[in-house]
Amino acid sequence: MDEKTTGLINPLSLARRRILVTGASSGIGRATAELLARLGASVIVAGRDEERLARTRSSLVGDGHSQIAFDLSAIDEIPGIVARLAKEGGALSGIAHCAGVQAGRPMRIVDQNFMDDLFRVNVQSGLALARGFRQRGVPASGAAMVLVSSVSAFVGQASNVVYCATKGAVVSATKALAVEFMRDKIRVNCVCPALVETEMADRFRTTMSDEQWQGYVAQYPMGIGQPADIANSVAFLLSDAARWINGTTLVLDGGLLAG
Amino acid sequence: MKKQEFIRELALALERPDEGLQEDVLLADIPEWDSLAVISFIALVDEHFGAAVEGEKLAAATTVADLIVIVQPHLED
Repeated sequence: MDEKTTGLINPLSLARRRILVTGASSGIGRATAELLARLGASVIVAGRDEERLARTRSSLVGDGHSQIAFDLSAIDEIPGIVARLAKEGGALSGIAHCAGVQAGRPMRIVDQNFMDDLFRVNVQSGLALARGFRQRGVPASGAAMVLVSSVSAFVGQASNVVYCATKGAVVSATKALAVEFMRDKIRVNCVCPALVETEMADRFRTTMSDEQWQGYVAQYPMGIGQPADIANSVAFLLSDAARWINGTTLVLDGGLLAG
Repeated sequence: MKKQEFIRELALALERPDEGLQEDVLLADIPEWDSLAVISFIALVDEHFGAAVEGEKLAAATTVADLIVIVQPHLED
């Protein structure tokens, strides 16, 4: 029975939406792809590794999903890739840009290569995706983009200066993109997660002793997040339920910054 | 990367380019060996060898030689 018959609605429905999800091989990206599919979207999973993407793709419920492997550090190729996706498969309703890198380096060992790498993947790739998204024929009606920043945009952390700077840039870019893309009828928002239990976090955890890890996690009043916690908010911001939300930043931290 | 090259990299990260690092020196006796130096060591291992340092092993290290033992599997002869 459909909504007309039952009177029940699902404001988060993404039926008949085509949405590109980057970083879909693991963590937040994979959880986002899985949730968007459960909400009815046709998902294009993007990442670097075809095999890992295929695993994500096979885990998606529903039909019409596809995958594309490309390197997000090849910035100038990204707009063309997005245009091709629309030309070959139909206009895009959304982009969830979940790919990113976390790498801590005290300033004493930061160099240009390190800064360039982080800014390229964490900032420039999102801007290039945005550039691709607004091209004529690419965005569908009700288009929306969600960028994944971090609470690191708001909280300084020793040994994380460059990462914090990239995530702050994502927050600023979100606002400016939202303003510039209003004429294109594309909403742009971002989410700012704190520590989430992902493969990336596992790697972070192995560098600490158990005692250090317990101390770190104890800072989180509601525990650390799950990928689904982030996926839920990304799905909301992509849906029509967020029709009037634009250029905003949603902090997802289990109350970490509240105290 | 050879052992001496890694020790040189570590000395640079600790901002001891002139003094260098002797293997038998206690980490506790190196003024520059602080919490950020620990993270620098982890970052160097990640950057040069693509490997994660186990926190427990690092916490147990007391000398420069102990740090070398951690990276030994990745060093050239």
